[in-house]
Amino acid sequence: MEAHLYLEARLQMIGSATDFTYKWCVNMGFDQVVAARMALAVDEILTDIVLYAFKDETGHIEIWFQYTFSEIEIIIQEMGEPFDPERYVYDADKAMKENNFEGASLESVRCMTDQFIFLNRGKDGKEFRLVKRFESADIRDRLPEKYPEQKDDNDVYDDMNDSSAPGGDYLLTPVTSEDAEDIAKLIYRSYKYSYSKEDLYFPRRIEMAIRHEYKFGTIVRTAAGGPAGYFAVIKSTDSMIGEVGEAVVSPPYRKRGLMKIMMESLIDMSRQRGLKGLFGEALTAHTFSQKVNRKFDFRSTALVIAKSSRRTFKGMDFRSTENVSVVIDFLPLTRRWMKPAHLPEPYTDLLNTIYDQFKAYLYRPSADGSPEDDPGKTNLDLMIHHEKNSALIIAREVGNTFELSCKRLFRSIEELNLTAIYFDLPLGRIPISSSVEYLKKNGFILAGLMPFYHEESDYLRMQKIMTDIEFDAIHTFSDVAGLIKKTVKKEYDESRKEQA
Amino acid sequence: MMKVEKNKHKLDVILQGDFNLNAVRQISSLLKDRTELTIDLINARFVTSKAVIYMHGLMYADSPVTIKIKNPPKIFFELLKALGLHKMWNLEEIVQP
Repeated sequence: MEAHLYLEARLQMIGSATDFTYKWCVNMGFDQVVAARMALAVDEILTDIVLYAFKDETGHIEIWFQYTFSEIEIIIQEMGEPFDPERYVYDADKAMKENNFEGASLESVRCMTDQFIFLNRGKDGKEFRLVKRFESADIRDRLPEKYPEQKDDNDVYDDMNDSSAPGGDYLLTPVTSEDAEDIAKLIYRSYKYSYSKEDLYFPRRIEMAIRHEYKFGTIVRTAAGGPAGYFAVIKSTDSMIGEVGEAVVSPPYRKRGLMKIMMESLIDMSRQRGLKGLFGEALTAHTFSQKVNRKFDFRSTALVIAKSSRRTFKGMDFRSTENVSVVIDFLPLTRRWMKPAHLPEPYTDLLNTIYDQFKAYLYRPSADGSPEDDPGKTNLDLMIHHEKNSALIIAREVGNTFELSCKRLFRSIEELNLTAIYFDLPLGRIPISSSVEYLKKNGFILAGLMPFYHEESDYLRMQKIMTDIEFDAIHTFSDVAGLIKKTVKKEYDESRKEQA
Repeated sequence: MMKVEKNKHKLDVILQGDFNLNAVRQISSLLKDRTELTIDLINARFVTSKAVIYMHGLMYADSPVTIKIKNPPKIFFELLKALGLHKMWNLEEIVQP
């Protein structure tokens, strides 16, 4: 579960914050020593903030606790007096000989965490990001190298296309945390080392994600109780939507319609949980998953480039690709989907075409949707995907300080050497054409529509790609996905030309 | 919060929580010019750099204070190593069984 603390910047508050940090880390699956390391790191940062950023002044500190299947991140934000902790480098010799302990607290933080990042966002405050990865047993270390009857990955898609009722006696049940090890084994037996989602090789990570309800899914077992297939929805953390992913059918049980019944079950389970939609991130190295999504009434809305770094695909007729891009395919589960009143100027036609695919689910608000009078302040959230070397900026509010806030944020992340930056702009409440224009001037290009992506609202995604993209290796299936790709490529080429 | 026993030369404390700057300030206000300090860390999950610096300052002052530590958490030793003090501190003397 994600958490947020808002603290008065006083020494007396630190104990409460570290107690919470410790307990939260234990609840999220860390052992007590690791949780204590994170609590110590938080204590060090908070103490420095109280001592040096606020001194005798009053102020507040905000702490966000974020969880992913592979790591936790604690983000500490404050708006106190500017100070640059990176200027203070700890020197053990100086400490011992001259009693000079400058930089000791940050040295402690670096030692206790796997990654420590300091971001100075100027007037928008300072951020301290503490990352700790989960260490747990990898199923690949515990199972024999060789499993009989390995089939190609393509078979799993054939299984989706098989509309026949499953032959044999199978039991389909919702997954529980006790299924974690069977799921990891299924992944290993089916894909060996080539499955894209690394977390699925770690039973403990699967167990915690199911227990905390970050994902739900279905598992198919044979009459003898052995696992035959698994399919899950990963819930978004800031919106009532989920990603369909983690699909696997054990090779001996493929082409029996198991994937189809699992997908139907997932859609039912998602409706029961009140999700407003499901999305799939379909790889563009091939069109199999896009075709499957289409079969279940998903429609393409965006092309996100360089979603993760170089990968090798087992059993495909190609071996690797520089960057893995995905088409976002979306399936609405509500008929109360409001189409935004304002669509940004350069993409009005394309966005209308994308929305037209969902006519049956959309309605237009009865009011004329006049823009808000006072655009107010800009509020940008930053999410760093450390493993993917990318970042997502979410504009929660777009106000008259948009360009200034962007400049500060871009400057603060310059040194991270990211491969890609994604920027989500809210659609509907206020016109964002000038914001889009500003982002384009700064090297961003279109990605597309992200339906219901944050707080159940539609967002326009822009993307800035810092690596070379081979568009010939990006394959799209539907006409709309093709149109999106055409626009993305055109803007990418223009952006490259300008840079040159 | 801590449990305290003291005499003219000696201060014994049992910390009820972590050994951080708050605890340092409380110990400091009680220690005054005593020359021996024993800290029991049975309830502490960690010791911060501020606490390490405080103890280092006492031990290597012109008028040093003899420090004994009981039940230190594992992280205390990790931190000492990170700060490069593990060889300088005479841990066999400082850490009580």
